[in-house]
Amino acid sequence: MASPSPIPYDRRSSRASSTAGQPASDLLVVGGPPNSPSPLELFLRASNLPSSKTRISKIPPDLHMLEYVSSCDTNLICLICHSPFDKPVKLACDHYFCRDCLDHAFEVQPDGHKTCPTCRGRVDTDTGVLPVPKILEKMLDELVVKCPNTKSGCTWVDSRVNVNDHVMLYCEYTLVECPSHECRLPIFQKEFHKGCLHYTLSCEHCHTSLMKKDLEVGYITQRHQKTHCSNRFTACPHCDAEVLRLDLKVHVNDSCPKMVIPCPGTILGCHFTAERTEVIKHENACPMATMAPHFRDQQARIERNEARFEPLARKVGILEDGLSNITNMLYPANPNDSSFPVTNPLDPNHSDAFPPAPLIPTPDFRLPPASFPPVPPTNDQSQTPFNNPSQPPFDSQVHHLLTLHDSLRDEVSRIANALTDLEGRTNMMIINENQRVKDEMLHTNAAINSMRMQLHWLMSATLHQRTSNSTGTSTARAGGSTSSNSNGNGRAQGASGASTSLGARAEASGTLHAPMRRLSDSTRQDTKL
Amino acid sequence: MFASKRLSKELSKLHDHLPPGIELIQADDFAEWLMDIRVIDSNPLYQDEVYRLKFSFSQSYPIEAPEVVFVKDATHPIPWHPHVYSNGIICLDLLDRQGWSPVHNVESICVSLQSMLTSNTKKERPPGDEQFVKYNTQRPRDINFVFHDNQV
Repeated sequence: MASPSPIPYDRRSSRASSTAGQPASDLLVVGGPPNSPSPLELFLRASNLPSSKTRISKIPPDLHMLEYVSSCDTNLICLICHSPFDKPVKLACDHYFCRDCLDHAFEVQPDGHKTCPTCRGRVDTDTGVLPVPKILEKMLDELVVKCPNTKSGCTWVDSRVNVNDHVMLYCEYTLVECPSHECRLPIFQKEFHKGCLHYTLSCEHCHTSLMKKDLEVGYITQRHQKTHCSNRFTACPHCDAEVLRLDLKVHVNDSCPKMVIPCPGTILGCHFTAERTEVIKHENACPMATMAPHFRDQQARIERNEARFEPLARKVGILEDGLSNITNMLYPANPNDSSFPVTNPLDPNHSDAFPPAPLIPTPDFRLPPASFPPVPPTNDQSQTPFNNPSQPPFDSQVHHLLTLHDSLRDEVSRIANALTDLEGRTNMMIINENQRVKDEMLHTNAAINSMRMQLHWLMSATLHQRTSNSTGTSTARAGGSTSSNSNGNGRAQGASGASTSLGARAEASGTLHAPMRRLSDSTRQDTKL
Repeated sequence: MFASKRLSKELSKLHDHLPPGIELIQADDFAEWLMDIRVIDSNPLYQDEVYRLKFSFSQSYPIEAPEVVFVKDATHPIPWHPHVYSNGIICLDLLDRQGWSPVHNVESICVSLQSMLTSNTKKERPPGDEQFVKYNTQRPRDINFVFHDNQV
């Protein structure tokens, strides 16, 4: 199995030997037994050192990263890395760990206080770390692992003890540095002898630019010409036809006679499934296959209509939102009523409940008091979307805000109108009241004037009487009981005389009014004069 | 590399088998996992409640302890326990630098926390909880807890 793999070493070392002048190298490498790598390695290292170019960039496999073929006995698993032991050691307390894992664990512990990770028992790093029994090492060596290069295509599977040799010496899929001195890119060991393959080429069939190594020999999965190039003929996996890879999909989907496909009447319930040739025969007899195209047309039409319906439904939702907003503005008294009549204005049952009167934009002051609810209408507006669950959700936040803004503006203008109306009304009222008060004052003035006139007249009449009676005063004083009485009598006589002389127009009434007038006159005289 | 290798092994094991009352919720990467635990026996303190644990792994896990805290959300409260602060930080020597050992793993931590809750009978928070929750800005792994209670 190892015969082809040492070739790169052979070539490389022979080349190295030709430059370094070591003729014994060929013999040693070719004749070297495959299972004794140490002299070979030694030699390689020795021959490599003078060239100062690190040709061997192979990394030894990490046993922790290996993939095991079967699950391993849990007793062979290190509790720190959870993988089968790699170079295990035993502690005095009989707990086993990988050498590296234990070192890692000890690293973080203070010096002199190393403890076993499992039982926390004190460990003396000099004497407490013991070798493990041979049988354990044997068991670990016999674990079957896959080559770490499995992903690149290597199929090697063997005991773990051999994996290092395999990867370092024989595995064709181990990456090594390109043989070219200028190129440092990695390449599979098996392609090492082909020289540098890291240059771009154009595929002769499909004209894609590719690296030479990928075009011919690269990773199995990327081998362009065999598996990717779309302009190469390939065999159809179902029938024997040779088609371009480019057309393979079309061929399989549309024309391959051996492809197993269902009857075209499947959508109508036909369960017939067979190779294409059979299905074509079946189609002529199957009524469902005949109907299928019509049904497909119908289906497409329904889908088109549904797609058209979608934006319309959304539009209706938006309009309903706007409408219910307007309604809430007009009837803020019952904004929580989810079955508000206006959400369905086309329903004749509700048309009565929505009289046209409130639609007048300027609000009348005589509207029911509910149009000015105790809660500010702005609150009502903002609450409606939450209080009204049956209301379709707003199309977007922006739309909601815009609607809200509009309704608020309307509300404000409505209030402004109401205010001007109210002002005008109040002004009017004040003017009317003023007029009335003025009239009354005029009346009173006139009355006072007439009374003054009367008083004047009375005064002059009394004065006149006094002067005319001045001659008879002595007799009146002597004969009269009291001066006040005589005065009163005199005045009463004067008054009656005045009324009789004044009342040329109403002589009869004058006698009737006289006592009343006198009474009022006497009181007025006391206060005013 | 070491951490992710070990975590991937743990994860495949968790997918395979989980002890009762422990559930793997989210493990999208090898840095942060979410686990749910509930107390199985009929401790009235934890009846019908599920607690969510957040594990944060550093690059040097399992040599370094993961950071484990309870996470509070709508359906997952923080359990009452004299060693669990109300912000979810757990005072358990197992999770501390000194008490941690690389042989522990996510499953064993979950089981330990489960049993810590099971054995508890006191519906209380650690002393100085309010003060701690208010002023603590440290990450749980940097806090130096004083472990005084050996009953847990």
